[in-house]
Amino acid sequence: MGKPKALIDNHKCLSCGGCISICPKDAINMCSSKAYVSKEICTDCGICIQICPIGAISSEVY
Amino acid sequence: MKYDVVIVGSGPAGCITARFAAELGAKVLIIERRQEVGVPVLCGEGVSKKIDEFNILEGTKWIANSMDGARIFSPDGTMVKLAADMAGSETGYVLYRDIFDKELARGAIKAGAKLMLNTCAVDILKEKGKINGIKAKHFDDIIDLEADIVVGADGVESKVGKWAGIKTTLKPSDLETCAQYTLSNIDLESAYCDFYLGKKIAPGGYAWVFPKGKDVANVGIGVLASLSKPGLSTLLLDKFIKSHPGLNKGEPIRFLAGAVPVAEPIEAVKDNLILVGDAARQVDPITGGGLMASVEAGKAAGETIGKAVEEQRFDKEILSSYEEKIEKTLYKKLKRNYVVKEILLKMEDKTLDMLADSLKDYKFDELSTLSLLKALVSKHPSLLIRLKPLLKLSKM
Repeated sequence: MGKPKALIDNHKCLSCGGCISICPKDAINMCSSKAYVSKEICTDCGICIQICPIGAISSEVY
Repeated sequence: MKYDVVIVGSGPAGCITARFAAELGAKVLIIERRQEVGVPVLCGEGVSKKIDEFNILEGTKWIANSMDGARIFSPDGTMVKLAADMAGSETGYVLYRDIFDKELARGAIKAGAKLMLNTCAVDILKEKGKINGIKAKHFDDIIDLEADIVVGADGVESKVGKWAGIKTTLKPSDLETCAQYTLSNIDLESAYCDFYLGKKIAPGGYAWVFPKGKDVANVGIGVLASLSKPGLSTLLLDKFIKSHPGLNKGEPIRFLAGAVPVAEPIEAVKDNLILVGDAARQVDPITGGGLMASVEAGKAAGETIGKAVEEQRFDKEILSSYEEKIEKTLYKKLKRNYVVKEILLKMEDKTLDMLADSLKDYKFDELSTLSLLKALVSKHPSLLIRLKPLLKLSKM
């Protein structure tokens, strides 16, 4: 079983970009209209989860 | 096909940069990752009337409402009114940002710029260590867009700066995390943009009500990211609306989330690459307003690029005149307001109440953060002693 990583709920994400601007590992991108996490880079620090204005990010094992 | 400049992002900063560069003869390409300019709207949609001075917008379709001023409500409800001296004189607009952005794009295209939609920048191109364009994804195709100058106008989440080695990552204490409804069916007879302060209302930020018409308004909230919890902005926004007579019967016709940098401006020129707008953190750290900053910086960037293309020089030396142009005006103001933001964040609610009480009958000569700061310093010289030297330095 892998370590937990940030997971963005694509149904909720409104593409504000806050998580991308704050991610210390630069692990989040938004080339389509939703943000997504590169799970190879994410260290599950939790900062994006804390700041998401709509609570669309959680820490999951996936 | 090679361009003089490729601009990543078709928001106001990108389109204004494009317009002024193209007007000076530069061959400009703007790329936009979305399929439509100006959508989704990620903005409170308020802007100062000073935007008229730039002559970059035709007609009035982009204006939802003209405003007489602003009202600030301290945590205990004390109101400070900032209005223009004469009754009926407008001080600002509430926009239709989607139409506004399309108008700016139209202006850039009319000046000669090209715009590619559905085109997402994925990296910078380099040749022999020198930036020479943007690698982009257009649907399933990867394309190389060569250019002498690259502009990152790619917003708060800017990647262009990072690819060039500029540190753009924000501290949580330099980011406002926001949620906003456009509420219909509300009872609002006001020609003022309202701001509500208080730790319980919006920790490290504020709530706002910007009327778009007589029964429609943008009602939003910004929370400082370092004081946020998952979904807090939305929770606090719902609470604010519920407790607000006049708003609590409203129905949302739009919901959006936003992220606003409230940081000091960062390095905006690196070799032949320029950052502009939110990407360069060109936002007023007190209000979170970035439109006027983008207009001012975009114009300076576009003019600098035009000159660089004319002289066929694409080094940091010539492009730095962009930063020099805004250093004494825009940057001085943003740096000052960053210090003010830090002071305001440390204030208890009761201090804000006291400050508001002392200004409740004050007549402001104009609607600006500077006139508000001047009034505060004149009333409380010892409390705001750190601000005094900053006010002397700046005239904005």
